[in-house]
Amino acid sequence: MNAFSYARPTALADALRRLRSGAVALAGGTDLLGLMKDGLVRPDTLVDLTGIEGLRGWSRERGKGLRIGALTPLIELEGNPQLGQLMPILREALRDAATVQLRTMGTVGGNLLQRNRCWYFRDEGTPCWLKGGTRCFAVDGENRYHAIIGARECVMVSPSDLVPALVAYDAEISLASSRGRRHMKLADLFVAPHGRERREHALRPGELITEIRIPEAALARKGTYQKAMDRKAWSFALVSVAAAARIERGVARDVRVVLGGIAPIPWRVAAAEKGLEGSELDEAACADAAERVLAGATPLRDNGYKLTLARELVRRALRSLVAA
Amino acid sequence: MPRVVKSREEFEGEVYESLVLVEGRDLPLLDGGERTEIGHERRRVDGTARVTGRARYTQDVYLPAMLFVRVLRSPYPRARVRRIDTKKAEALAGVRGVLHRFNAPKAAFRGEDTIFREEVRFVGDEVAAVAADDEDTAAEALRLIEVDYELLPHVVDLEEAIGDVAPRLETDGNVAEASTHKRGDVRKAMKEADAVVEATYRTSTQIHNSLETHGAVASWDGEVLTVFESTQHVFGVRQGLKMALKLPFSKIRVVCDYMGGGFGSKGGVGKYSIIASLFAMELGRPARCILTRDEENLAAGNRSATLQQIRIAGKGREITAIEHTSWANVGQGKWVANPTGPTNTLYDVANVSSKSYKVVTNAGALSAFRAPGYVEGTFALECAVDELAERLGIDPIALRRKHAGSPKDPLSGKRYSDKHLLECYRIGAEEIGWRRRRNGGMRGSAPHRHRGLGMATQIWGGGGGPPAYATVHLNPDGTVVLTAGTQDIGTGTRTVLAQICADELGVDLADVHVRIGDTENPYGPISAGSVTLASVGPAVRIAARDAREQLLGAAAGVLETPAGELRIDGGVVVSKGARTPLSEILGKVENNTVIGKGARHPNDPELSQRTFGAHFAEVEVDLRTGEITVEHIVAVHDIGRIVNPLTARSQVEGGVLQALGFALTEERFVDRATGRVMNGNLENYKVPTVKDVPTKITVKFVDRPDRRANNLGVKGLGEPPIIPTAAAIANAVANATGARIRHAPLTRARVLDALAVAEARS
Repeated sequence: MNAFSYARPTALADALRRLRSGAVALAGGTDLLGLMKDGLVRPDTLVDLTGIEGLRGWSRERGKGLRIGALTPLIELEGNPQLGQLMPILREALRDAATVQLRTMGTVGGNLLQRNRCWYFRDEGTPCWLKGGTRCFAVDGENRYHAIIGARECVMVSPSDLVPALVAYDAEISLASSRGRRHMKLADLFVAPHGRERREHALRPGELITEIRIPEAALARKGTYQKAMDRKAWSFALVSVAAAARIERGVARDVRVVLGGIAPIPWRVAAAEKGLEGSELDEAACADAAERVLAGATPLRDNGYKLTLARELVRRALRSLVAA
Repeated sequence: MPRVVKSREEFEGEVYESLVLVEGRDLPLLDGGERTEIGHERRRVDGTARVTGRARYTQDVYLPAMLFVRVLRSPYPRARVRRIDTKKAEALAGVRGVLHRFNAPKAAFRGEDTIFREEVRFVGDEVAAVAADDEDTAAEALRLIEVDYELLPHVVDLEEAIGDVAPRLETDGNVAEASTHKRGDVRKAMKEADAVVEATYRTSTQIHNSLETHGAVASWDGEVLTVFESTQHVFGVRQGLKMALKLPFSKIRVVCDYMGGGFGSKGGVGKYSIIASLFAMELGRPARCILTRDEENLAAGNRSATLQQIRIAGKGREITAIEHTSWANVGQGKWVANPTGPTNTLYDVANVSSKSYKVVTNAGALSAFRAPGYVEGTFALECAVDELAERLGIDPIALRRKHAGSPKDPLSGKRYSDKHLLECYRIGAEEIGWRRRRNGGMRGSAPHRHRGLGMATQIWGGGGGPPAYATVHLNPDGTVVLTAGTQDIGTGTRTVLAQICADELGVDLADVHVRIGDTENPYGPISAGSVTLASVGPAVRIAARDAREQLLGAAAGVLETPAGELRIDGGVVVSKGARTPLSEILGKVENNTVIGKGARHPNDPELSQRTFGAHFAEVEVDLRTGEITVEHIVAVHDIGRIVNPLTARSQVEGGVLQALGFALTEERFVDRATGRVMNGNLENYKVPTVKDVPTKITVKFVDRPDRRANNLGVKGLGEPPIIPTAAAIANAVANATGARIRHAPLTRARVLDALAVAEARS
């Protein structure tokens, strides 16, 4: 790890001022410290955000939805009983995310901004395209964990368990920088790296996520999260599916199906979701939706199995929305 | 006066003859009577020290003024090191020395005369080493070393290396025949068979992942080189250092108080030990060279990936022939473990033909890994036996029973010293509920989940043998010091040796202090091949008996009672009507010391000593996602007398879990284009977690002393429990689903592929 200076401001404005070029924000550190140890990120300054008041915790105001501070530890979302009532998908999604140690340190904002797990990207000695190299090594290499759909120059996959769940609830995020604030849909934060966009997130330099909001309307949805791993704990998803819908008199409204682990971004297909509007989510409708979500998938040498898994998990997730 | 006799010992599947110095007579077999210690569950005598952090592992050794060494490793799978520029590294404050091929002294290591090769041959091969005042400085200095590499063509994949287009890494090619065996007439038997199964099996590279990485701390006082090393064989490290550094044994001391796992990979000196020693001797400061987790997974050994072809023939209700050919990717290793070992010896089958090939590639060298070869080979053989049973339409156990009862080793023709394999089958079948097994499996917890039962057999050595020594001496207060040259690889060696000593001497377990892991002690064998207890235990018993007889003599004199009327029990000398504590008797003679000596006597060269066992698995498989859940493993072993049922059970559970990784999740990936290991870490190299542990592991022992093995009737248990688990699981999965997966580990991709094939067929 390289030498760096360290600051722990207590005010957001101070933190934003310090996030000049060469400075990197530190929250739980569960990803950043690994990246630094592996020589992939070599900041000259770490700006530790954990001393900032007001970015931690969550609140619900009736009619105004749910707000979650970006510095809230994942374990709090997972373990809070009221939140468990309000949005049970959070517990479901986080239960199998990483380990309890990592969920204790890791924050919501950090989780959204974690870098991908492609082993070529993570290997300092491999000059892959995403790191400025000339080619993707995974396309012709060891690619069982890589993308089957939606990838361009880089076949990494969106690794987060939390993201598909939040996207399925139409989450929005607030961003702050020394130049001001802005808001966007969480789904728009994610970029499939391509062309000159050799990055995974649409965050601007010096910008921080301060808050995540779930609109009131989305809280009426029922949701579920399904995850396949290649061992029973502490593994990123081979494939994950978050599904959510409002169930009215046995039919589904506002259906969302969001997949993790198969594409560089959380994978959604609007046509598939629209196709389920008003559906009873019977077997045929669910199988059809799975086909639509995965239409155009082009598996690599070693990851064709993800297609089978994804079809089944989509079907299972949707079916469970109407299960007793 | 000692005499020289010939002895015959098995080690990791091979039989070796040696000359042994023998003095006196061996003790008769320990009888079946009730004892205070042997046969009883005892928690580890060093358990508190281990869990409180008081136990000193090599990584805990920090000596005053110690230097920290980091190693620069080749980023290329094959290259010539043309030039190395260390000026910038040497100029860095805190750097005290740099070693590389142009300035390091010649040092013998595994048949070569240097530790920094001109031609580096795998990603991770040692190129240079830096000693600095602290770890970070050493690591930073590595980045400042400039190396001019001439890249050479490479190959890392087993099947590519066998093929015609791969670069030839050795003058006589990449593939070398390692061993063959032939008996009977395989061709004729195949022709006359009712059914022949022909299948190709594969096993992936498994990495040891010892919790304590490889490493050494070396200290030179101008006279003696002391090396603290995490090792399974302090004497082996001493031998390696002698060869490399040209020092006499008297000037080398190797110490291993505690070690955090080895599994076969810490059997001798490492380059890190030699590098640390060179720096210590050159710079006059202790030097510490301990591998990082990444380095551990590049350059500290692995279990070879294998490609195995089996043809197995059956007629009626019997196996009539087996043909087994194996190719193993040894990386830059100089030897190969033999996956055909179980085929040659496990079953009494009349016609057998086997061949084992070593394949070199530009990857890290193999090292022994808990039952090397046998784990890989048993996976293939025991899956093939099940496939044949299915083809013949008979129960898999019934087919095995026909060939598993023979009292003779079919390879050597010698009688087994003891064998209760059929008993293992009986106990295991009962425990797992084998009667429930149905072709096509059983219903699981949901309609899309099926259950299945499977089993597999293991054969291994573990008879041990000489040389192994122990001494037992009494302190004036009646406490006991047991000294032996063995070391504890983690199996509980201190505890079981203390139990044997306490029983034989008649003292309390708590009064026995065990000193091991030091070349200043009399010689002990490598803690490998499951030999430790069967080698060292009998010597400890003799030493304790010798001490007891001397003690009784001393007591007779002090108490003025004939020795024949005395016995020792619980640290007390008991005579007619009187009980005198040992401390009182020894107190009278003060520092006049009783020293008992013991040496392991040779094995009967006419007998074959083997351990046997069978594992049974119950699994549930999600037919739609390919997820395998191992519900129950029953492990039954025939390893002679059980000294400590608690440590024995732990050993079996550990073996089952390590096998579970081999069976389901553990697999090293090397990028073919760059030769780089993609998952040399604990994130993507998937060791089982506690959630992967089967709901239930049932451990059973036949627990009958092997009367012809040694004076304790014990055999080893280190390796047997890792051998049959993977095949038992694969057989259970095949039973549950109808899908036969012939490549371990049984990953999602392989399970889903096999399920698709099975579905298309039905």
